[in-house]
Amino acid sequence: MSLLPSCREVSKLLSEALDSGRPLGMHARIHLSICAVCRRVAAQFAWLRHGAARPPEGGPALSADAKARLKRSLGAP
Amino acid sequence: MTDPNTWIDSYADRLYRYALSRVRDESSAEDLIQETFIAALRSRDRFKGDSSELTWMTGILRNKIFEFYRRQAKEVPLLPSDEDSDPESEFFDGRHWSASSAPRDWGGEPARKAESVEFTAALRSCLDALTQNVARAFILREMEGLPAPDTAAALGVAPAHLAVLLYRARMRLRRCLERNHFAPEAAA
Repeated sequence: MSLLPSCREVSKLLSEALDSGRPLGMHARIHLSICAVCRRVAAQFAWLRHGAARPPEGGPALSADAKARLKRSLGAP
Repeated sequence: MTDPNTWIDSYADRLYRYALSRVRDESSAEDLIQETFIAALRSRDRFKGDSSELTWMTGILRNKIFEFYRRQAKEVPLLPSDEDSDPESEFFDGRHWSASSAPRDWGGEPARKAESVEFTAALRSCLDALTQNVARAFILREMEGLPAPDTAAALGVAPAHLAVLLYRARMRLRRCLERNHFAPEAAA
């Protein structure tokens, strides 16, 4: 039985570390040092974090009817 | 401060896109920006001009979004049974990645490349494919940057359940992006 966590466990620990702010434990770090695939998933989680933080660009605009409803609700002329 | 009569023409589209990206429902997004404009109108005397009007209104909108999520959590509580008890099983074969789910190298520096318009558009498209509970967890935690304890409170779930939802979101999003953005031809 291996002392090191499995790929399944490491992927979960990587996700949890993003939310707890706590560093990975030693066994998980050793696993990452020898497992290129798990290092990729760590990088992919970082991609997700950076991409999600970016404000939306483009996309649908509010319809003219909706804008008219908003103006009425605000009492605009 | 500008004339409130100009706010809708100046800011409504950008606030609407922001709201829509967070609540994924046109009617709710429209309601949220209406609430935002009304709140801004009522509190405009407190606007100090330390930031732009748009930034100030976006801050109001974010609070409205958090209120929206809290209301939703009270009306339709998320239960652990809403999600599979073993969300990672489909990605693994025993202790290791299954051949079809092993992450590939996306290349480049995430901090720079992940902010491309193409990547963020693909990410939002993949987000639409998530179940509502999983998407909400990801939106509040990663898009809004809400700390995990606050995200759990807003969704009305235990911290351990939030961890499951976020793990599921990240795993599904990374697979969706890999198949549809990075190597769609490989997934065909």
